[in-house]
Amino acid sequence: MMIARNAFLFVGSPKGLKSSSQALGDALASRLETGGMTVNKMVVGAALHSAVGQAKMHEAVEAADLIIFSFPLYVDQLPAPMIRAAELIAERRRSHPHAGPQKIMAIVQCGFPETRQNQSARDIMREFAREAGFGWAGALLMGMGGAVNGRPLEKAGGMLRNVVRALDIAAAALLRGEDVPGEAERLMGIPFIPKWMYRRIGDWGFRRQAKKHGVRDKLYERPYEGK
Amino acid sequence: MNILILNGATESRNGAFHRKIKDALDRENGKRGLIVTAFDLDSMEIKPCRGCFACWVKHPGTCVIQDDEERILKAVVRSDVLVWLTPITFGGYSSVLKKAIDRIIPISLPFFIKSHGEIHHPPRYIGRKKLLAVGTLPRPDAGAEKIFRDLVGRNAVNLNSLKTGVVVLAEETGEAGIERAVREIFEQAEVE
Repeated sequence: MMIARNAFLFVGSPKGLKSSSQALGDALASRLETGGMTVNKMVVGAALHSAVGQAKMHEAVEAADLIIFSFPLYVDQLPAPMIRAAELIAERRRSHPHAGPQKIMAIVQCGFPETRQNQSARDIMREFAREAGFGWAGALLMGMGGAVNGRPLEKAGGMLRNVVRALDIAAAALLRGEDVPGEAERLMGIPFIPKWMYRRIGDWGFRRQAKKHGVRDKLYERPYEGK
Repeated sequence: MNILILNGATESRNGAFHRKIKDALDRENGKRGLIVTAFDLDSMEIKPCRGCFACWVKHPGTCVIQDDEERILKAVVRSDVLVWLTPITFGGYSSVLKKAIDRIIPISLPFFIKSHGEIHHPPRYIGRKKLLAVGTLPRPDAGAEKIFRDLVGRNAVNLNSLKTGVVVLAEETGEAGIERAVREIFEQAEVE
């Protein structure tokens, strides 16, 4: 069993530090830090922006025993920048193999109510781990990601109590050198509110934002029709 | 019938093999009299999606980023058949293809509808499209192929595809094998 001492939290949301992926990843990272682990953090935009950013990303990956990818679901899988980062990491490891054992885990959240919509993203992350020579520590998949809305979890209220418990259990296991337990996966996947309610709140939220921007009557426009 | 091919190969890595597949697609399209638009995405300027949802709630139907993706969006709207052509990357699509796909969300509406027993976004435009996906691998890999097929299946649900076809080709496949696979995918999706 490998006990991780250094972790790397890699946030794959284009929204960076204001994202729900950041909030979830940070919540896990703070638990790991409390347990004595050192956690290095980076967002994917900064990593891909320049050669210096890429070098820092590779450095952070090489220094970590545990790498946590936290990202939103984009069209059924990883957002493009996260795939690009994974391509670069895998390429680098082919020419610079790492000596010690390293593991990857993923936190994936989507705006749809069904947790299962994240399954392809989880499978891709596991395959990336296999192809790039990492161990696989498991994944936490979450639906209704809109409920986090980029806020720190403690500010999101009791609705996220199962998420908080899932992160507590996952962090405790990772600190012991174990993989993400099934109980943490199960808790993370429990819907916070009924599906119909989430749908209604979502629709209302989009209409409210459109009204704020003065386009409520243009929501159904088809600018490219006939072009 | 309009067919749109999005080629997600990187020229220096898998450009030659993908060109053979594109040639086979061209021949099959020609036989069926389809009108083809094709984009080699690696040579285009396409920035990643910012996840800002401005295409839903600020200027519905158009993306805030002005680059080559607008040409793709217009072509997607007028197409009847979409073809994703990609090197299979950890079971998924290459970052080159995915960058273009992430940016097609202006063709959907922000609201939630129930489809195939799940919640999805409804289409902005009228008319369902067929989805064909051609994945390539350096060598046969059953694990990566399964992830790819599952992913295309998820995309088909998400895009409310009328018919879907998937083939996976290893780079050792010769011309005849490529021809056969391309014919097979058109038949799977009943592209006449």
